[in-house]
Amino acid sequence: MKELIKYMAQALVDKPDMVAVSEIVGEQTSVIELRVAKEDLGKVIGKQGRTAKAMRTILSAASTKIRKRTVLEIIE
Amino acid sequence: MEGMEIEGKTIDEAIEKACNEFQVPREKLNIEIISEGTPGFLGLGSKKARIRAALLMIDMTLDTPFDRLAAKIMTPEPVVRQAVAALEWETAQAPPIEEERRIAAPVARSQPTTDPADGEPSAEKARMILEGLLKRMQIESPVTVQETGEAIILNIQGDGSGLLIGKRGQNLDAIQYFVNKAAHHSTNGHKMIIIDTEEYRKRREESLVALAMRLGEKVKKTKKPVTVGQMNAHDRRIIHLAMQNDETLTTKSRGEGEYRKIVIMPVRRGPDHSA
Repeated sequence: MKELIKYMAQALVDKPDMVAVSEIVGEQTSVIELRVAKEDLGKVIGKQGRTAKAMRTILSAASTKIRKRTVLEIIE
Repeated sequence: MEGMEIEGKTIDEAIEKACNEFQVPREKLNIEIISEGTPGFLGLGSKKARIRAALLMIDMTLDTPFDRLAAKIMTPEPVVRQAVAALEWETAQAPPIEEERRIAAPVARSQPTTDPADGEPSAEKARMILEGLLKRMQIESPVTVQETGEAIILNIQGDGSGLLIGKRGQNLDAIQYFVNKAAHHSTNGHKMIIIDTEEYRKRREESLVALAMRLGEKVKKTKKPVTVGQMNAHDRRIIHLAMQNDETLTTKSRGEGEYRKIVIMPVRRGPDHSA
């Protein structure tokens, strides 16, 4: 899951090497924390949070496949 | 285009009949819904669903000569047919033997350089983005590319689980949105990238048109506007277009952003443009 978020974030930002992803694994639910360069924050969130929403939708679809829940947190 | 009116108990049944009639897979037919059937009550007042079906010729220029050939070698199994349809654009010139081998292994998609249909680097880029994404979602489904004047269509060969589609297509829309964003990140191109799987886009359009027709009838009967739930721009457009030809009805979008809804209303006295 971590790889998935990293891939998506890196495809969207201007500074892909500033993308950092960490995962807090839980039994049922995992939390993925995404950090990007300050000027790229808008790119991963998008207008009205549309990009963030799309990433979360894709993430939950991928999690469904492995019967888990994953929450995406974008850290400022 | 020669059309044919076909009746069935339900729309699905009518479409199936149409496929048998023309001896082609479903995606080769242009289907127009004339009326939706009603089951009636205790067998009373039931109405049959009517559709008009015609062979689709325009969208895939490569496969017209291939059509007859395909019909001969194709087995009646719909799964195989679907695979054939998806592959046709890139294998149109291939000899029949080659063809069968490809049907047996649809995974054997060509390398970027051997693709005759797309010379555009952006189509290839879009496919690479999508494949990278699918790989990380642990979905191993082959992707085929098709390029038209204004859009790049990426078709994911689905496993039928509906995971890629999601509720009301939300997963598919999210993937499409992401691929568009990522592909246009560094380029200024404005070609739309459409992602489809298991004929979802077509099915959705049909059901939306059917919904529009049904609600249109209701509006005509009650002379009162009807609001259709929240929809994205693409879905709203389908409804607007479906209602465009009906002069007694008019459509409007209301609300903002995600909560934008569509309203179908009767036209009062002549053509009007006000709400």
